[in-house]
Amino acid sequence: MKHCPTCNRTFDDTKAFCGLDGTRLIQDAPTPSVEQQYNPPAAHAAPVAPIMPAAPPATPATPRVEQPRAAQVSAADPLERLRCEWCQAMNEKTALSCRACGAPLDIKNLVSESGWREAPRIKDMTEIHFGASTCQVEGEIVPVAELNLAQGDSVFFEHHVMLWKDDRTPMGVMPLQGGIKRALAGMPFIISLAYGPGRIAFSRDATGELVVMPLHPGMELDVREHAFLLASHHISYSYVRIKGLRNILFGGQGMFMDRFVTGAQPGLLLLHGYGDVFERVLQPGESIMIEPGAFLYKDASVTMNVETQKLTTGFFGGTGMNLARMTGPGRVGIQSMYVHHHTD
Amino acid sequence: MTFGGTAPNQPTRTHTCPWCGLASDGTQLNCPACGATIDVEQVVSNSGWTELPGRRDMAKLQFGNSHCQIEGTYVPVADFNLSPADGVYFSHHVLLWKEPQVNIAAMSLKGAWKRLFAGLPLIMTQAVGPGHIAFSMDAAGEVIALPLQPGQGVDVREHIFMVATLNITYDWFSTNVWFTTRSGDETETHYPLGAFMDRFYAPQSPGLLLLHAAGNVFTRHLAQGQTILVKPTALLFKDPSVQMQLHFEHPNGTTRSWRSWGERYLWLRLFGPGRVAVQSAYAHMHDNGRNITRHSTATRQQW
Repeated sequence: MKHCPTCNRTFDDTKAFCGLDGTRLIQDAPTPSVEQQYNPPAAHAAPVAPIMPAAPPATPATPRVEQPRAAQVSAADPLERLRCEWCQAMNEKTALSCRACGAPLDIKNLVSESGWREAPRIKDMTEIHFGASTCQVEGEIVPVAELNLAQGDSVFFEHHVMLWKDDRTPMGVMPLQGGIKRALAGMPFIISLAYGPGRIAFSRDATGELVVMPLHPGMELDVREHAFLLASHHISYSYVRIKGLRNILFGGQGMFMDRFVTGAQPGLLLLHGYGDVFERVLQPGESIMIEPGAFLYKDASVTMNVETQKLTTGFFGGTGMNLARMTGPGRVGIQSMYVHHHTD
Repeated sequence: MTFGGTAPNQPTRTHTCPWCGLASDGTQLNCPACGATIDVEQVVSNSGWTELPGRRDMAKLQFGNSHCQIEGTYVPVADFNLSPADGVYFSHHVLLWKEPQVNIAAMSLKGAWKRLFAGLPLIMTQAVGPGHIAFSMDAAGEVIALPLQPGQGVDVREHIFMVATLNITYDWFSTNVWFTTRSGDETETHYPLGAFMDRFYAPQSPGLLLLHAAGNVFTRHLAQGQTILVKPTALLFKDPSVQMQLHFEHPNGTTRSWRSWGERYLWLRLFGPGRVAVQSAYAHMHDNGRNITRHSTATRQQW
């Protein structure tokens, strides 16, 4: 157990700060117990995979009552779980929001007739779990992601998205390759790291939505530059050069896109989309034309090519309209308040 | 007790949309023409401004053989499902996405030089069905649906227009709201409302006009001769019958020298009869504070 030196309230070992006054908690002196004899302290054990169903709390100190076999089967029955339609994580059937992505579980998916699905609007103060840490989403117009990082967890982010932090939350810098290329391309020259234990909060600078994307193992996601808010340390970060001069000049996102890849472990990626965010799943070979400034993210399997349509009008010669052709298979995410890029 | 249907003399349930005036059977959740929720009462302030009626996410608007779905709430998207005979036109920077089979082409406009110098879009783009095409603008706010009946028109401030159906005609006119300031030999002309305004008109058949406002939208009906002062950049649209002119206001106690008029407020005075609409997130008007040498018809108040 831990206790708060200010208000003397007690908390369990997973908490780092007092929920009442924010003071850092102090570990109580260990007292031998049955629980400690048989179960090593779990506070710094292996991170809990966010997409896995939450294990019921262990209560070894109480006398164990043998459950009938039928009851055990029922408790483990997958039908008793709620599947999140946004990230596919399984949740307890009493949960109101998804443990892994915060999507409300009691609200129906909103899908337009044309097949675009709205990103779930995360309710104010929803808590999301990743590793041994939590992220609370606060506010709705320009939402804030407030992290309570546990020991052993860390996140990385562009340094200008940091809103506030505890003075004792450790910080670092992620070593990146191709620093000069990144600087010339207008990408952030350094990516910052924050380590647990400690609290830190992030937000961007315009009305929009926090898009929570728990990445399953082996996933690759390409994200428009300057759209990512933070990612957990389970995710590896790189960038890909956009191919083709036309795509670079008229694609509306410069020379590079951020690429997030998960290895054997799942990870949490948070994006900020300006305005409303919509997602569509393209079938193999299926195409959609989008305004390049509206592009937010895509699966690495989706190809993007900018095409120009000439709009002529007599004496003035007209203008050109550049649209990005996205071709499946895979997901494409767009934002409705996009950056308009001038055409020729 | 009656079985097997309603009695022939039983009145049919009808609902008249307070926003667009369409009469419907009231069995739907939204007005089919403008998407306004029909089970929520209008919100009117004590001073007489009416809020734009609420619209449910994914509400559908019917026009011709096509329909439009309004998606999202912060920066709503107008997603059109065009049938083969229907089409829309739009200012090309509002296009969000389209299906590859939807054809787009330029729609030339008269007075291209003037439009070019006034900063208005030189061309409008038109899209013809069948297929889906969607539009959005670049500020948090509301999409305003204005179904226009035959013979009905509306004047819209520049850069507010999003998309209109092809049976609505588009024209533009000089606002005649301006003033000049001078510094030395340099004379600067200011157009607080923009040099031109868009005019949309439905000549023969009903059409749908969609505008995008930044922030919240409020409307009110001005009676004959009634007047109100609004921030010029807050004006969204007005009935063509509403007249407008400048109004300068000087608060009491501000300094006024030979170089400057001191602290002053620039207003747009609107005269009824007719409907006017304003947006709550308006662009800031920079006033250089220099002496105003000439101006269009204006009133003045010195407190």
